[in-house]
Amino acid sequence: MTSFRFSDALLWSALLIPFAAPQALAQAYPNKPIRLVLPYAPGGATDFIGRTLAQHLGDTIGQTVIAENRTGSGGIPGTDYVARAAPDGYTIVMMDPAIAINPTLLPSLPFDTFKDLQVVSRVNSAPLVLVASPTLPVKTYDEFVAYAKANPGKLNFSSAGIGTSPHLASELFIQRAGISAVHVPYRGIGQSYTDMMSGKISFAFSSFAGALPFTADNRVRPLAVSSLKRGAIYADVPTVDEAGMKGFEVDLWYVILAPAAVPADTVGKLNAALVKALALPEVKAAFAKIGAEPVSSTPQAGTAFLKSEYEKWRKVILDANLQQK
Amino acid sequence: MDVFANLTIGFGVALTAQNLLYCFTGVFLGTLVGVLPGIGPVTTVAMLLPISFTLPPVSAMIMLAGIYYGAQYGGSTTAILVNIPGEASSVVTTIDGHQMARQGRAGPALGIAAIGSFFAGCVATLLICVAAPPLAAIALNFGPAEYFSLMVCGLIAAVVLARGSVVKAIGMVVLGLLLGLVGNDINSGVRRFTFGARGLADGIEFVALSMAIYGIAEVAYNLEKKAGQADVMSRIGRVWPAWADIRHCIPSILRGTALGTLLGVLPGGGALLAAFGAYTLEKKVARHPRTFGHGDIRGVAAPESANNAGAQTSFIPMLTLGIPSNPTMAMMIGAMMIHGISPGPRVMTDRPELFWGIIASMWIGNLMLVVLNLPLVGMWVKLLRIPYRLLFPAIIGFCCIGAFAVNGNASDVLVMAFFAIFGYLCLKLDCEPAPLILGFVLGPLMEENLRRTLLISRGDPMVFVEEPISLGFLIVSALLLVVVAAPAIRRKREEALQE
Repeated sequence: MTSFRFSDALLWSALLIPFAAPQALAQAYPNKPIRLVLPYAPGGATDFIGRTLAQHLGDTIGQTVIAENRTGSGGIPGTDYVARAAPDGYTIVMMDPAIAINPTLLPSLPFDTFKDLQVVSRVNSAPLVLVASPTLPVKTYDEFVAYAKANPGKLNFSSAGIGTSPHLASELFIQRAGISAVHVPYRGIGQSYTDMMSGKISFAFSSFAGALPFTADNRVRPLAVSSLKRGAIYADVPTVDEAGMKGFEVDLWYVILAPAAVPADTVGKLNAALVKALALPEVKAAFAKIGAEPVSSTPQAGTAFLKSEYEKWRKVILDANLQQK
Repeated sequence: MDVFANLTIGFGVALTAQNLLYCFTGVFLGTLVGVLPGIGPVTTVAMLLPISFTLPPVSAMIMLAGIYYGAQYGGSTTAILVNIPGEASSVVTTIDGHQMARQGRAGPALGIAAIGSFFAGCVATLLICVAAPPLAAIALNFGPAEYFSLMVCGLIAAVVLARGSVVKAIGMVVLGLLLGLVGNDINSGVRRFTFGARGLADGIEFVALSMAIYGIAEVAYNLEKKAGQADVMSRIGRVWPAWADIRHCIPSILRGTALGTLLGVLPGGGALLAAFGAYTLEKKVARHPRTFGHGDIRGVAAPESANNAGAQTSFIPMLTLGIPSNPTMAMMIGAMMIHGISPGPRVMTDRPELFWGIIASMWIGNLMLVVLNLPLVGMWVKLLRIPYRLLFPAIIGFCCIGAFAVNGNASDVLVMAFFAIFGYLCLKLDCEPAPLILGFVLGPLMEENLRRTLLISRGDPMVFVEEPISLGFLIVSALLLVVVAAPAIRRKREEALQE
């Protein structure tokens, strides 16, 4: 059940205090608390990464950074809120690949990702892992692909809902491997693990954090990871790229975005503080706990990255004919 | 038996001064957030998660678990006193609990809720010790087909449980199902019944709906009545239930505990179904079911035992399989992962001190809750002395804050306002809201599991009767239908014969 969030009410009242005080316009940015909007529910990866980052960004920028959950489907309400916020650099948002997927997937968005928002910096990189049901007679990536080709239309894959990264990762994989499988959406990959153990679901692309408890004792099999290089976790599992599908890369990244009209020097200050925070060993250690790695970038490089992700998913969505009417 | 050896390890861990302190902190906070309308255990756990990282993992988990089951105790308090269910699982408690409060028996209602919860908590804890691995295996056998059939069973039970007209109950269940379908469809991503309103894209918020129907509509309904009602409310009654009351409730507590224990093991809404199921069961086995809905103490004892038993056993799939049965459990898994523990079958063998320590702490926590709650009952009941002219605006204020705070969305407050009017009309028309709420909660789950089953079976509906567990639920549903229909049929025939 959803529960009430009194914390947010408290937060709101805390936020009203600086507005009530006479504005010290003369002082340089940042002279009041910065709000980092997290568009997903508390408890998930976004929340964890966001709150860790907010804490350390506060230290490097010299102002309190308040993490605020504004939830809603596809992160749209939270992102829209920031797109419309005053362009003063005091309201920013952390978004996941949905920001690059939604413009193609959905018939309309209340904001334009590239016109109404600008990238301040990238935040992290977190690959997915391809896991398969132990009921399938396969132990390796190659055997899995061969089995899938020999049994067209027999396999099912789970996702965290239509148009989510795990769904599109599987679609991209299916398109490139030339296999066919039925998409069975769940509310989260975690929900589908029981069905994967019993064989009703054949495979899925899962976050490391979600898969680890199940692969640790072979209740599901890790076949390949979706990064180009192996990392510390799943070091003995090949990447999809080295297993034969050249250039296959799916990343659960986050970026920090600000309203498009925020002046360049303010974005520059925010970027510098973010880069500094993301370089802290505490941040690296915290991210590592859920299988993520801090990655920072300049605003320009971040924008280029966002554009390339947009193009990549646009092709997958159009090829699989997934766009919503 | 190594159960005792294991329990010794567990109590050794849980009885250290530090862990006792965290256990107490957890249950105290849990009771508090359960009592206060506007905060729930999910929020509290989320807020305390960062703090818990600085604690040793066992202490952190003991505290977070305490918040969760402590809230189950506290949630019944508002349900009984002001008719606002803090959690979905205390919806049923409002039916008889609030009636008891109106009759000046708020004290015994709160008392029996605490006693029933304590008993259920003890039994469920013991069961986790003995039967966690085999019970986890049952949960593992639950696929989409089984869930669908379980939901069917639950919805039919909702019709059986409603007081008054069966036709009205069916109407309310169906309406609840339809309301539950509003918003994004997870299979196609299509927005259904939103009429283009972005605020409805994620569906109707449960908190807004339940507070509208139970909180605000009830306030409006009460305002119509003359001031005489307030006098009745201020009569408190004794706090400790009479021995006759307790004896009267023993079978109900036992049945509620058994049902709650079993359904709590299932990932997905087990505790909620348990509370509804226990209430239905009581009504069916009672010799004079007409007293239910009018302040029958068994109608408080059974669901309260069931939801607390369910809350405890919902730790089984989490601890043994790493599968969350509700959002709070999902957050606890997150907490364990960050402490470097992967939830799953290996926790029991790799980290016995953690596994058994949490379980032993639950028993201690339940004891603390009784000690904490029974003396407090007298204090909570004093809330009823607050005059309506102060209490009502406060309830409405809390409801608005609560509805807004869930997503930080003003449209949820408007949704609540709309359903408050709707709920008031329902009360005037003598339509019970409980079936609507159950339909609303179970409807989307039922649809998801139905479509998931059919996707996996490639459209073959026979799987529902081919899977034995699923078939079992469908048979029980059919039997329940016969039970509901039989008196109606008999009455019709008698009427026909008289003419």
